Amino acid sequence: MGRTSGQFRLKLNERQAALVLLTPFLAVYGVFLVYPFFKGFWISLHDWNLLAVAFNPDAKEFVGLRNYQRVMWGRDIEWGAFAQPFIQLFGLAVIGLAIFLRRVGRVSKVTAIAIGLAAALLFVLPGFHPGEGGRWYDRRFWPTVGNTLVFVGLTVPGVAITALILAAALNRETRAMGLLRTIFFVSQVLSVTVVTLIWQIMFSPRQGLIANITDLFGGSPIIWLTDERFAMAAIVITTVWWSLGIAMILFLAGLQDISRDLYEAAALDNASGVKAFWFITLPNLKRTITLVVVLQIILHFQVFGQSHLMTNGGPDDTTQVLVRYIYQSAFRDSELGRASAMAVFLFVIMGAFSVLQFVLGREEDA
Amino acid sequence: MNRSYAWLVTALAIPAFLWLVPTLWMVSLSFQPNDVLARTTSSTALGLVPLPFTLENYAALFAFGQTPWWFLNSIIVAGGMTLGVLVLSTTAGYALARLDFPFKSAITFACLIGLMVPEQAVFIPLYTMFADFGWHNSYHALMLPRMAVPIGVFLMMQFFKAIPGDIEEAARIDGVGWLQIFWFVMLPLARPAMMTLAILTFLYAWNDYLWPLVSAQQREYFTITLGLASIQSNFAQSEGLGRVMASGVIASLPVVLLFLIFQRYVVQAMTVGGTKG
Repeated sequence: MGRTSGQFRLKLNERQAALVLLTPFLAVYGVFLVYPFFKGFWISLHDWNLLAVAFNPDAKEFVGLRNYQRVMWGRDIEWGAFAQPFIQLFGLAVIGLAIFLRRVGRVSKVTAIAIGLAAALLFVLPGFHPGEGGRWYDRRFWPTVGNTLVFVGLTVPGVAITALILAAALNRETRAMGLLRTIFFVSQVLSVTVVTLIWQIMFSPRQGLIANITDLFGGSPIIWLTDERFAMAAIVITTVWWSLGIAMILFLAGLQDISRDLYEAAALDNASGVKAFWFITLPNLKRTITLVVVLQIILHFQVFGQSHLMTNGGPDDTTQVLVRYIYQSAFRDSELGRASAMAVFLFVIMGAFSVLQFVLGREEDA
Repeated sequence: MNRSYAWLVTALAIPAFLWLVPTLWMVSLSFQPNDVLARTTSSTALGLVPLPFTLENYAALFAFGQTPWWFLNSIIVAGGMTLGVLVLSTTAGYALARLDFPFKSAITFACLIGLMVPEQAVFIPLYTMFADFGWHNSYHALMLPRMAVPIGVFLMMQFFKAIPGDIEEAARIDGVGWLQIFWFVMLPLARPAMMTLAILTFLYAWNDYLWPLVSAQQREYFTITLGLASIQSNFAQSEGLGRVMASGVIASLPVVLLFLIFQRYVVQAMTVGGTKG
């Protein structure tokens, strides 16, 4: 900082400096995130046709919460404890499990409450159904939410378990292990369009590598992407292959924090390999596991590209997911109001998980 | 110990190879002639070895396709976005971490609460906004929304907070102004953190799909990610499988290279961005 810079030196006090440094970000943040966020709510309260409003800004009509009603509700909706007995009983069982685990002190209070709340929703929500002569106003919305949940429910355990096993096996600082880690991670940096391009052709019954292999063994090829039984599985396989990397890296970081002494002590007691994994690695990694699961839920609940590019939501809507339904309602059907109401619904769910993630992160820091 | 280690590596090499197969297959198909691929995709070793071999697909790609143009768009958009995020995040992050001003905690909270808002919750209002401005089908339309996401501010704030205060105090005693401290003292210290943030942003920008799909309707403004999606739906008929696969390879090359060269930063970025983002 010689004399030359001194001549042009702008002398600001601390407040002025803060103002100068903060304003650019705050401006961009306010205009392109805060404002659109509130405008999204605003649109969801209107009957707002994309094309009509584009030509005539006054063509929108305030309808209050009617869009939410049209999306989520129906005529003569009733609630019963046995509308979907399996899912609802499962919900009740999980509530019991959460209480039990908390009683015996196996999980923290926050985790128990989170699991309990999710299970309570699992008990309450599927109980709603149209009564005699009634129907949902939007027949596709709840099945779409259901598909999204099925996708999340299959992908997240798939990613978490595979990543955990790999991380435990690869947790050594050698060249070979580094190379293996790189191999398992590299698919993570590919874009969704490249990933779906690869797997679309992998799964193709005529040209696909999988079909070529079943051919060798004389099997008949599975028509993965257009068969109701396999389409969701195909998307889940693709996603697990694609997004294993982050989870593995987070697990590896968590494993670094487990003291070597624990393993050495265990080795003296003849506990190594699978036993050490079960009794030392898993309990010490509980926080990381929860964190990875929450993160993966947030990530995969927003699934769009795999469904949009590989199956077009089909066959028969079995792989239609929430974000794709929002996208179509807005840009194919031009119904911005309805689409925005669904986007708000998505935000509320994501928000709940973000809060959970934040609370868990806090707990970890403490 | 050594023997069990050798066993472990061998046992892991098999799933690792299987993990690589889809990517290898794409690369291999991109080097095979289209007329062969139309008949069979498993000429040699299930198609994993590119025999018969050709460079035609890549030559055709650069001769007629729009792929080079889309590639250039992606470079501009991802590069511009990265630069923008760096500028906005380092300045705001520094102010929030090191300076004192009125309503500081409220402003910090207001900035970081935006981390909760997913892209999918705002893409419809953003679309109408940009349509009102007449901004769609432009580079700035592709860049601006992501610059508003506060993850970078959060990362830089955390970094600046961890720097010991005496460096700053010494400069203050010498009568150095705040902006000069930021520019000459803090930014050089922040280089590794900026590197991490830059890579995270570039990867995100390169691979982003939903917003470009909504905003760019004219093919001249497609990014490579979007362009690839537009040709893959009719890959077999029009372009030929080999050429589409070559596009896929070209689209992946920058991010894979970036990852292999800066692996340490990418892993760090994913760890930090993952746990807090």
